[in-house]
Amino acid sequence: MEAALTCPACGSPVRAALPAEALEEARRRGVARAVVACPRGHAIVVTLDASGAVRSAVAAAAALAPSGRGRECEVTPRAPEWVRQRLQAIVERGPATDADELLLERAREAGWVVCA
Amino acid sequence: MLGRIRQLLDNRGYFKIMRDFMRAVGGLSGLAAWVAWERYYLALMARAAAECGALCGSPPTDFAYLLQCIAERHGVLDPESCRVRIKRPRARYPTIFKDYFATLEWLLSRACELATRPPREVLPEEEARAAYHAFLSQEWYCAVRRSMYAGAGVPLWGRVLLIGAGTAEPVDYWHACRRLGAECRYAAMEVDERALEDLRRLAARYGFEVLHGWEEAERAGPFDGAIAQNVLHWATDPLDVLMRARRVARRLLLSQIVIEGAGAGFLVAYVLGARRSVSWREVESLARQAGWRLKRRYAKYPNYVAVFE
Repeated sequence: MEAALTCPACGSPVRAALPAEALEEARRRGVARAVVACPRGHAIVVTLDASGAVRSAVAAAAALAPSGRGRECEVTPRAPEWVRQRLQAIVERGPATDADELLLERAREAGWVVCA
Repeated sequence: MLGRIRQLLDNRGYFKIMRDFMRAVGGLSGLAAWVAWERYYLALMARAAAECGALCGSPPTDFAYLLQCIAERHGVLDPESCRVRIKRPRARYPTIFKDYFATLEWLLSRACELATRPPREVLPEEEARAAYHAFLSQEWYCAVRRSMYAGAGVPLWGRVLLIGAGTAEPVDYWHACRRLGAECRYAAMEVDERALEDLRRLAARYGFEVLHGWEEAERAGPFDGAIAQNVLHWATDPLDVLMRARRVARRLLLSQIVIEGAGAGFLVAYVLGARRSVSWREVESLARQAGWRLKRRYAKYPNYVAVFE
């Protein structure tokens, strides 16, 4: 079964085959999650309902960060004011662009962002 | 007044090549507001440095020296009395520059430190790298690059080499190709190992070649064109960069921030690690020495923009 959605990170149209195990789990438990990739490489976490329809799609970083099950990141006071707002948005919602993704990495190296 | 007319005449081609960008900033009035705010921040920085005794006389650091030169050129600092003239602009700057002025605000908050200590003591290497990436990927800067590449029609040249590409330029070049509906054939050349790692990841998404240094660029050449966008002030030997570019490419879009007309933004580049300041005459002369022939000059200062063959 194939899912058609829009990448929440970059807006690209995505057509991805859903894993059979996720569909089976959704049928059995009424809900399941699967990870698909957009053509520009963003990982997307999709939530499936019992019929295998996609109920929600979030960028992987955003899906993991607030829940605490993945890396929880925090902007530190070392980050200069002019980048802080942008970093906060990246940490909360996940990198929206390639530049954001790279900035998050550089910011971690600089100690502007720490991740658990 | 005469100075402003002269500046407009010297840079008239800029408005043609930067059509998209000019629309984004709201035309000449938006650009004028940006200039006024830049001058305002420059004056505030000069005052901050003067108050901690780092301006006038013999400035203790390169930052203080550059700040003094630029402030004098803009007429906000009187070198005799060391008095700073500050005038807060009334017009708001275009929204696209929000991050840019936030950067200047930060620079202002560190102006005294930067005027008295080496930049890496104030902003350590790792933080400078992060700041460099954040600055180069600001919305206004991306708009500048996209507008320039599309405005000069570079994607229509054929296979293009991005010299000292960094990580932001290849993405912006891809957008310029899309803007013109042109086939995007390009290679990004870098010497920085860590930037190369990032470039390789981006290359998989955007479909460009990644080249490590000039030797690989020479092997991968010849190219129909090359872009050197704000590369010369980072280079140890700017003439060598232009000569090597001449060897591998038929045309060159040369865009370089120069000291004439430079504002507070020039100081950001210095703090992030730029090695030198160059003048537009120096840039043009270096290009000619490297064997390039000027085809069209779009602007002289503060951003020198020209196409060479």
